[in-house]
Amino acid sequence: MADQTKSTPVPEKKGWGVENMPYPEGVAYIQTRWDLCIGCGACEMACSMGHFGVMDRGLSRIRIYRYLTPLPKSVQNVCSQCSEPERECQKACPVNPPVIHFDEKNKHMTVDEERCLGSSCAMCYEACPAKVPYLAPPEHDHPLVCDLCEKDGKRRPECVEICPSFALEFMAPEFPQHLERIHPDEKAELLSHRLYPLPKDKILYPLNEKRRPELVEGRRD
Amino acid sequence: MKSDVLSLSKEGGTKMARKTFRMLEVNLSTGSKKTLDVTSLVEGYVGGRGLGAKLLWDRVPAGTDPFSPENILYFGIGPLTGIFGSIVNVSAKSPLTLLRGQSNMSGHFGTELIYAGYNAGLLVTGKASKPVYLLIRDGDVEIKDASHLWGKTVADTQYHLRQEIRKTLDDQNLRLASIGPGGENLVRNADIAHDFYHHAARLGMGAVMGSKNLKAIAVKGSQAPGYADPQKVWQIIKDFFKGARLYKAENRRWGHSVSMSARYYQGTEGIKNKQLGWDPICDLSNAVKLEQKYKIWGDSCSLCMVGCKVPYMRRDPPLGPVVGEMRHDDAGGWNANVMIPGFDTQLYLTPFLDNLGLDNEDVSGVVAWAMECYDRGLFTREDLDGIDLTWGNLAAICQLVTKIAYRQGIGNVLAEGLKFAPQKMGEATKRYAITSKGVAITSYEARGSMSEAVGLAVNPCGELHGGRGDPERMIFDSLTTCTFLRNSIREVFGSVADWGAQMLNAASGWNISAKDWPDLVHRGALMERCYSVREGYLPFRDDTLPDRFFEETIHTKYGKPLKLDRNQFLEQRAIWYKAAGLTDKGLPTQDTLRRLDMDFVIPQLKDVIS
Repeated sequence: MADQTKSTPVPEKKGWGVENMPYPEGVAYIQTRWDLCIGCGACEMACSMGHFGVMDRGLSRIRIYRYLTPLPKSVQNVCSQCSEPERECQKACPVNPPVIHFDEKNKHMTVDEERCLGSSCAMCYEACPAKVPYLAPPEHDHPLVCDLCEKDGKRRPECVEICPSFALEFMAPEFPQHLERIHPDEKAELLSHRLYPLPKDKILYPLNEKRRPELVEGRRD
Repeated sequence: MKSDVLSLSKEGGTKMARKTFRMLEVNLSTGSKKTLDVTSLVEGYVGGRGLGAKLLWDRVPAGTDPFSPENILYFGIGPLTGIFGSIVNVSAKSPLTLLRGQSNMSGHFGTELIYAGYNAGLLVTGKASKPVYLLIRDGDVEIKDASHLWGKTVADTQYHLRQEIRKTLDDQNLRLASIGPGGENLVRNADIAHDFYHHAARLGMGAVMGSKNLKAIAVKGSQAPGYADPQKVWQIIKDFFKGARLYKAENRRWGHSVSMSARYYQGTEGIKNKQLGWDPICDLSNAVKLEQKYKIWGDSCSLCMVGCKVPYMRRDPPLGPVVGEMRHDDAGGWNANVMIPGFDTQLYLTPFLDNLGLDNEDVSGVVAWAMECYDRGLFTREDLDGIDLTWGNLAAICQLVTKIAYRQGIGNVLAEGLKFAPQKMGEATKRYAITSKGVAITSYEARGSMSEAVGLAVNPCGELHGGRGDPERMIFDSLTTCTFLRNSIREVFGSVADWGAQMLNAASGWNISAKDWPDLVHRGALMERCYSVREGYLPFRDDTLPDRFFEETIHTKYGKPLKLDRNQFLEQRAIWYKAAGLTDKGLPTQDTLRRLDMDFVIPQLKDVIS
């Protein structure tokens, strides 16, 4: 394909834009900027292509949730590589040592696939407040968590590189990462406040009453 | 399917055999649901708009009433849906023109249909005995009662249905398409709304859906599309993301409302029902001010990096709070064409009609016609049920369109569209109906550009938008890829044919080359033309524009006179016919049809084609 690309060559620019930010060493995670997300889903495809060589959003470790607030608004959901005391998934894992755990060498969450109990257990998914460790049985019956596209110690997150909106940033944490561990329902709820004073009966996003009762009750008027 | 692809990829190979295309057929009369293998049809007609034309030809007998159960409603997708945007091309016999009807909607509905397992779309036939909605979940199709939704506006319908279905799902990633009161009441230019602001608005697709008592369709899926060579597909996408950055920068700020501001200056945007070439009111439609004042955030369709959907919110009273999204089509129809003072006011009007389930563009043309007739004394105030329909009167417009949506009083006549309403309102009013084949020409002013004038005239579906009838553009609606990306695709990949052939090979495991491309392009386009011809369309007679464009001169802001010359128009039209592989009369030859394996149309058209 490359020889057929006839776009005008652009000289490499040395700018200060987000696309030129250096990647961090050490503990790092993918920051999601939900306000910038346009919901194209390119990150999902980049992720499943990078890990499985298929284009399937169901096998992605980053997930796009598309809400109506009533304006369509998409938010991302990806592992925020929580610090050890806040790692609810790891704490919840019934296997000893935990199947889902932090890879201290490469500094990202990882899953020992062989020992995992799969969707019959799914305790990590239930424990995570943002419901990140998603299981996709039967093909992939163990949690999908972000490994920062680490290969041989090198980390180049594909989703960050493809995002056309610069809505994903590969950053060292500036604050405890778990503060960004927010359920997508709540993200949509927060963003919908930008539509004030649209009355409550105009707000369309359905929250999951079973999972997030406090949000349903606390909906603004 | 997901498992196949995954197991293949684990073995290290990504090549897959030719992809099979499955279409879901739901017969609402009998309640039967079938999955059809339409691979051979897709290989000939690609999908979406081309396949829709073929289905219409095969399944809808000549002369069928569009509101009868014999009409079909095809939610067409194609081999590339969800790769460069996610267009759904809705096909049915149009109640507005009685010819081939089709309309595009973007968003994520098509992608969701593919994920639900139907990569060649959804075909709805028959007619339900009571209001129903369709719930499609991963190959599981249910026809459910929608009595509680019937009568509700679009926003209300989607609100209630989403709340209802959400209770049964893990998350709310489901996609909805529904009609509003316009579609229920068989208004001939009613639309189908997907999510909040994606509409298959044109040519009365919503009315056909309403005639089938189908209120809404909800789709949720989790199966992978399963491309034959995902690595290559992904590489092409990445090349495009990188190569078309400029287009992204241009279109993401304002969406497509910005093109209007420019078009008023070129004399290609209609003003006061095409009576003027410039009015100071045009400068109130300033897309830059619109963006800075009202823009909330950006939004895009599946796997499109442009994000040209730009929702706006007006907070301040008296018209706020209101949210909406404007495109060139509806914005152009409602602004200076009915003398609405700019985007500030129009931001109220577009969602008002969306909510009623009406096509903004076509209804704005009907309203502009009624306004001019009222202005000239052809309609009295009593005719309009007491509505003082002066130019730019927002309150009057809102009252009138509500009457149209519910077919009350004068609304019952105006709901017939510009093909039938002028016949009922008297011979003198016909001159002011700016229409081609019954579809209102609203946002386009034909006198500003000869190529657009020809493009508006030659479309076998009636006026859509400038150039929408070109076979080279039509193929995008068949693939289905967003047609707005066509110029960027040409820039990045050299030619659309190269790109298309490679893309189809990679996505579907076909083995075609750029040489086969023209056949794919022309087969779908001819199918569409042949269907309309069978329904009574004669290109050399019907491919024309209202007399006003040829007889009245308008002046642009800078005093440039604009008028169409009829002879020049006919010359250009003949050139267009020739380029599209048609005869001087705009018809295909029998040789062309045989070469494209379309012999089957010849017996039914033998009176017309040579």
